[in-house]
Amino acid sequence: MNEVLDIVSFVLRLSTPVMALIIITVCFFSLRHGRREKRALIALDDPDRNVRYPVLYWENSIGRSRGSDIRISDPTVSRDHAVLLRRDDGWFIADTGSKAGVLVNGEKTEGRHPVYVGDNISLGTTVLTLRRADDPTDANDRRRTTPPKVHKTVPIGVILFLLTIYMSIISAEAMINMGSLDILPHAVIFVCALWILPLISRFIFQRKNFELEALALFLCGSGIILNAVHDQRQAFIQLISTILGYCVFCFMLWFIEIPDKVMKWRITIYILTIGLLGSTLVLGSALNGAKNWIVLGPVMVQPSEFAKLAYIFVGAATLDQLQTKKNLFGFIIVTGLCVMLLFLMSDFGTALIFFVTFLLIAFMRSGDFKTVIFAVTAAVLGLMLILSIKPYIADRFQAWGHVWEYADSTGYQQVNSFVYSASGGLFGVGLSKGYLQNLFASENDLVFGLVSEEMGLIMALLFAIIIGGFMIYARAVSTRSRSTFYSISACAAAGLLVFQAMLNIFGVTDILPLTGVTLPFLSYGGSSMLSCWGLLAFIKAADERTYSNRKLKAGKITSYAPQTDETDDHDFDEDDYEDDEEYVEI
Amino acid sequence: MRNVEKRSVMVFLLTLAFFAGLIYHTVNLVMHSAQWVSAPYNAHISDSEGLEYAGKIYDRNGVVLAQTIDKERVYSDDEELRRACLHVVGDDSTNIATAVQTVYRSELTEYNFVFGLGLPESMKQGNDIKLTIDSEMQRAALEALGYNKGAIVFYNYKTGEIVCMVSTPTYDPENIPEDIETNDEYDGAYLNRVLSSAYTPGSTFKLITASAALNELDDAETRSYYCTGEDEVGGREITCFEPNGEVDLREALAQSCNVFFAQLALDIGGDKMTKYAEKAGFNSTLKIDGIETAESVYDVSGASDNDLAWSGVGQYTVLETPINMAVISAAIANGGTPVMPYFIESIGGSKKNSTTLGDRMMDKDTADKLYEMMDHTVEVNYGKYYFSSKYDVCAKTGTAEIGDGVAHAWVTGFCKDEDCPLAFAVIVEGGNSGYGVAIPAATKVLDAAPTF
Repeated sequence: MNEVLDIVSFVLRLSTPVMALIIITVCFFSLRHGRREKRALIALDDPDRNVRYPVLYWENSIGRSRGSDIRISDPTVSRDHAVLLRRDDGWFIADTGSKAGVLVNGEKTEGRHPVYVGDNISLGTTVLTLRRADDPTDANDRRRTTPPKVHKTVPIGVILFLLTIYMSIISAEAMINMGSLDILPHAVIFVCALWILPLISRFIFQRKNFELEALALFLCGSGIILNAVHDQRQAFIQLISTILGYCVFCFMLWFIEIPDKVMKWRITIYILTIGLLGSTLVLGSALNGAKNWIVLGPVMVQPSEFAKLAYIFVGAATLDQLQTKKNLFGFIIVTGLCVMLLFLMSDFGTALIFFVTFLLIAFMRSGDFKTVIFAVTAAVLGLMLILSIKPYIADRFQAWGHVWEYADSTGYQQVNSFVYSASGGLFGVGLSKGYLQNLFASENDLVFGLVSEEMGLIMALLFAIIIGGFMIYARAVSTRSRSTFYSISACAAAGLLVFQAMLNIFGVTDILPLTGVTLPFLSYGGSSMLSCWGLLAFIKAADERTYSNRKLKAGKITSYAPQTDETDDHDFDEDDYEDDEEYVEI
Repeated sequence: MRNVEKRSVMVFLLTLAFFAGLIYHTVNLVMHSAQWVSAPYNAHISDSEGLEYAGKIYDRNGVVLAQTIDKERVYSDDEELRRACLHVVGDDSTNIATAVQTVYRSELTEYNFVFGLGLPESMKQGNDIKLTIDSEMQRAALEALGYNKGAIVFYNYKTGEIVCMVSTPTYDPENIPEDIETNDEYDGAYLNRVLSSAYTPGSTFKLITASAALNELDDAETRSYYCTGEDEVGGREITCFEPNGEVDLREALAQSCNVFFAQLALDIGGDKMTKYAEKAGFNSTLKIDGIETAESVYDVSGASDNDLAWSGVGQYTVLETPINMAVISAAIANGGTPVMPYFIESIGGSKKNSTTLGDRMMDKDTADKLYEMMDHTVEVNYGKYYFSSKYDVCAKTGTAEIGDGVAHAWVTGFCKDEDCPLAFAVIVEGGNSGYGVAIPAATKVLDAAPTF
């Protein structure tokens, strides 16, 4: 009997990666297929030069500089002259500190000014006329012969069904291995949540797509079972955190729905970020060497996790604001303060995460390599200064690169992780059968090793690939988002998740020093779970489809695409305005 | 917005770095997994149940030295044989770092990276390992060493097969003594002294000094000296065991005249002595079946003239492993180039080793002269029949002073016989006489040797 169960467990283990691969493939392909085709719905005509500029994005920079979305070769036009942007209530033009100013129908404008089809917009000596892209006065257009292609996304039901099968496989395997039903409640509650959460998403928030959440839930579910086989109480906390995390996700989506509204909260968020970290330094208690916990009654929270969320807000901005206010002064100050506070808490991993996120945002905002090089130099000098004052900090990382020599001391976790990853092979020794679980902090710092040992290297890599996939996805939607606010925040959030995963995975595999940060969605830790879901909301919000259904219901617009006031009966072939840029597609 | 997308290439690069790191880790893991998995603290295999599915270990004649019956690791029925083979076979734990059950544990348990250690029990099946060791010689060697600490190694200098490798103190892997960590009697019991201990070689080192002299000194074979038992060399006294009278190189080796060899070393000089010692395997380690041995040491940098003189007779700070000593004898028997020793015949039915030559230790001419001199040594000093009634042995003894009147007893050499081409090294710690203790031990083992 035991032998039969053993074989069953083995077969389940072999099928786990297959199922995981199916889920990941389905989700990423569905994400890719569900995207709208790129086409312009309005255009700017320059009758003097007989040029038509298609308006492709929700926010379009107009100017003389090479990187402008609409580039006008006119010396009287400033390099970054204006931004043409789409909001719920129509199109606006915003002067972004140009020399010659922006005139609409001959009237000088200030700030955002609404524009309508037929309006003449003067930038220097250039006069552009706003047209619908299907304006019949354009002699060059060709009528579309085929209706616009809309790829079908995979129905939510299918994805949920696949996830349910996956959860059943790993739970069944775990229960066979453990010889008990201890983890059954966790599995059942999770699967129930799995079916209820998208229903909320669908019917209360009118969200159609579910792929991103499904992938995150896939990671969470795996993490919960991985935890449950060793510590059922911890796994319950993990389960509750996942559900709360989903709530945070929904709240965040609601909060950042209108980027202009969020921009008004900026100062509050600046203060909140610093406040979160500052209060930790004052009120916090130390655990495992880093003083980054605050005890609130029975609950322990890690405010630095929430500071990550707030920090993204600090960095992101809409395009007209980016062009108006180009210096990064405030952002640099907030970053410097955050990193300093984290250093004082000895939370070096998070400090590094903030710094890398800073680099990403700073570069996306300014496109300036000098800023990046300057920041890195400053950081290196700062680090050397700190190390010369407190040389013992370096001792924590002495094992890096030669962990086998420190196998009994600071390299202990890495060496064990190697040994047990090797024991796991491609398919693992089986859930609950591992030994790495006995090590200190195995369920957060060493979770990659734990997965490698119990579920095998393939699953460990698939988990990592999902996190990397978030990043590729965030980049792919960055020009289709409704504002640079979303593009920047999505890339920054995804970059943060990826970098955090790097620190965690490479820390334990001795590619980087071990800094003790969590692996997004998989590691045990409530605060971390909530913040990861919050970060995911930034990525989700960058996809213009996220908010489209709600608007559909409200009857404001009828398509994802930027368009004018009426419904469009017929579109033009996208080839006419085919952009020459390349997309990273997933 | 296009700008922002273009600039997000930074984030894309970060992701590429992430994936590159993952690939690096995967390659690293696949390449090292067999080594990592056999780490002594891997609880999957170093539990007492770690060898539940391990294969059998046989000696050269098919005698089972260890096997798993109903998930229990059991060793030979004969306690003497269990003790004799302990350092080759190992025990359930991985305390003996150079034993087969430690080093080849993943092969025994048939580890592969695809399934790791994750195969279900009914599908687990270990590999059998066949050794080149001969049980009878093992038994004889353990008996010869008796209660002394020491090491014996015999190997076939034509093929490389180690037929006997015994180290004492030893213990019974079926009944591991409870006081093993505290009792002095078991001091170093986890060490295979053949591979992992380096001793003062004493007079056995004269073979190296002779090899250097034959190459570097024109008068090496012509000079003669009248030994009165002591003389001043390099500013201080060098003493012999007894006055040897008129000696040349050949007789000096046969009589083991310290003064003669001390003067040779001084005349050759430290640099050249080091050169010939290093050619003979000093200051480096050997790899025996992937197991790195301890290092034999010859270091006369900063030595005084008298120190250099003493180093020429294997004293001063000179250290040598028994296995390297045997390899030097094998080189002499083979015309200067040794066949490298190994002790694993096959794993899982596939042959593990083939005969491989090591680096040349001395030129053919020198080797042949030493061959003849060792033959002569046995002839005139030890007596051929004192050595072995069955085989014609060439050898050199050593009595290595280690202070406080204690000396290690050494003998190294080889059989001339075609049907028993064995090279050997024997050391008995504190044996005090190479002639009186080490030779009888070697003889006892040799008499148990199989024919080839």
